[in-house]
Amino acid sequence: MSCHETGGCDVDADETVALVGCPNVGKSVVFGGLAEQYVDVSNYPGTTVDTTEAAFGDAKLTDTPGVYGISSFDEEERVTREIVLEADVVVNVVDATQLDRDLFLTLQLLDMGIPTVVALNMMDEAEADGVDIDADALEAELGVPVVPTVAVDGEGIDELRGRVDEARAPESTPIERWFDELPDDVEATRAEKTLLVEGDEPTAERVSTGKVVADGGVPALTDVGQREDVYGHRRRRVEEVAGGVLSREERDSSWAERFSDLMLNPLTGTPIALAMLGAIFYFIGVVVAQKVVDFLEITVFGEYYNPVVEGAIESLLPAASWAEPIEFLLINGNLGLLTITVQYIVGVLLPLVIAFYFVIGLLEDSGMLPRLAVLTDRGLNRIGLNGRAIVPMIVGVGCVTMAVITTRMVGDRRERLISTALLGLAVPCSAQLGVIMGLLAGLGLIWWFGYVGVLLVVLGVAGLFLDRTLPGDSTPLVTELPRMRVPRPRNILRKTYNRTKMFLREAIPLFGATAVAISALDYFGGFAVIQRALAPITSLIGLPQEFARVLLLGLVRRDFAAAGMTDMALGTAEMFVGLVVITLFVPCILSMVMILKERDAKSALLMWVGSWIVAFGVGGLLAVIL
Amino acid sequence: MTEVLADTAPGESVSLERVPDEDVRARLLRLGFLDGAVECRHRVRKGPIVLRRNGTEMALGADLAAEIEISHAEADR
Repeated sequence: MSCHETGGCDVDADETVALVGCPNVGKSVVFGGLAEQYVDVSNYPGTTVDTTEAAFGDAKLTDTPGVYGISSFDEEERVTREIVLEADVVVNVVDATQLDRDLFLTLQLLDMGIPTVVALNMMDEAEADGVDIDADALEAELGVPVVPTVAVDGEGIDELRGRVDEARAPESTPIERWFDELPDDVEATRAEKTLLVEGDEPTAERVSTGKVVADGGVPALTDVGQREDVYGHRRRRVEEVAGGVLSREERDSSWAERFSDLMLNPLTGTPIALAMLGAIFYFIGVVVAQKVVDFLEITVFGEYYNPVVEGAIESLLPAASWAEPIEFLLINGNLGLLTITVQYIVGVLLPLVIAFYFVIGLLEDSGMLPRLAVLTDRGLNRIGLNGRAIVPMIVGVGCVTMAVITTRMVGDRRERLISTALLGLAVPCSAQLGVIMGLLAGLGLIWWFGYVGVLLVVLGVAGLFLDRTLPGDSTPLVTELPRMRVPRPRNILRKTYNRTKMFLREAIPLFGATAVAISALDYFGGFAVIQRALAPITSLIGLPQEFARVLLLGLVRRDFAAAGMTDMALGTAEMFVGLVVITLFVPCILSMVMILKERDAKSALLMWVGSWIVAFGVGGLLAVIL
Repeated sequence: MTEVLADTAPGESVSLERVPDEDVRARLLRLGFLDGAVECRHRVRKGPIVLRRNGTEMALGADLAAEIEISHAEADR
């Protein structure tokens, strides 16, 4: 159904134009230039990969995750492959400074017979590098329109828009020689055949040969794949094409290259990285998580919003007994749906989410992320992670909830599990850390070192344990290092806005539902029951029964637990054990909800139970030692 | 003895001859890193190695670098 028929135009159209290109070639900037009005970010169904859609004339414009080729090496590639297979037209964004790298994808798209227009982007940087590309010759060579662009300045975007209609693919390409190897009766499009001869397993599983073999299944098409041959042949064509249209003049290395060299040398890179991480921690953990959030919570919500809403609800609802549970649900002091829940979402989450997406955008666009990964790879290898897991760990000290989202970047499922589990277990968030640091300062510096030491040991041991017990091997670091650039504020702000919007849309219903469930438990006296049930455990770690209340508060928010401990009269050792236990104990309700959303229910439950066991195990051990 | 990528020093120019991991090989092939000589750009001690070809830089973890067999592009190096 087209927009015209339905009247109101959502991003629902007959034709799909997909933007495809390698990572960091400026796809999102080209997208922003081509998109008309409505932009919608969402998770690609069944994945954690974001895709962006917008209206483009009568068609739908879809951005895809950056990939170096169409295949299925990771989740991003699978998403891009699905979108490309369904797209009517592809706008292939090519980085002019990396022509020889990017043409592989271009030739693959043409082999697949997908109508394509090439946007030859970053022409300004190519020129600065001394690279000269003859766009007309490239157009003749490829047989599809090629439009030179400098997307960040809007150059060439209008011409690109005008030439999308001319998108085409050559009638035949050299890939066809491999099609003969496929069974005659295979029912597949040219795109699918291309992926089949490249040994793409999901395509092989989907395309049936029509034959039924003896055991009732369909014969596997996976073994016809000759990926190496096909890729090798395509590479030679890339070299030919690139060699014919490109001339290079030697230039001195740019500032970006020199800075990159400094980053990658541990002697200079480590201090730069530490300074940067310190700045990130200060921004997210101190400025936003403490100063901004405190202002919103104490002043805006504590003094104005909550009293007003509470007053309004109390005067609106009659004093009848049937209204009492409703009133409790809406405005109770622990997690009232209209008061504290709103306070958490708007006063705590929103500023953190914005700050966090802003920082991530900066790191992404500047090219810092993979360089940090190179520096930290060796250390993280030991706990079953690769260098890419550095980001969640650092962000986690700011806010564990946010960090859980970044575990998407760390690679395959196994690494995501390990990094999420470590985050939930041993990484204290800044909100809690502030209170804990205050309490530890009262005990003395030696206890502070003891606290950090215990956490690092738990982190290391838990990482080693998970690395040994989880099936599979850790994936090694294989990552391209994009050129370092000064990020464009507009692009960062647009990304931050889109991602924040998507986050809130998904998170608000989850938090609302959780608040209702917790309030119900509270109303029916569930908390007191739990507190009594926990008595044997609190005595195990040598702490009074009131400590159970602290733990329960910690379920809602971790800094509440830490704050709850300030009221308790505890000895030095008891206080230390208590602080370690509340750090290791289950993450706050917001983090748990995020873990549930990002991982599956089983993993979330295991992590939850695991953090109980570890928290009390370590606590008990410390109680015996001290 | 065959030489592996992990033994390369920064500045050396090498060809990647044998990459045992199939996915990694395909990814390197796509980016042109198996087409000929590549420059070893950086090495973190016991850590990843950074390769460079026509301005494209690629980092490979230490365990991978220890598996990848290479030959020196120029004999006199």
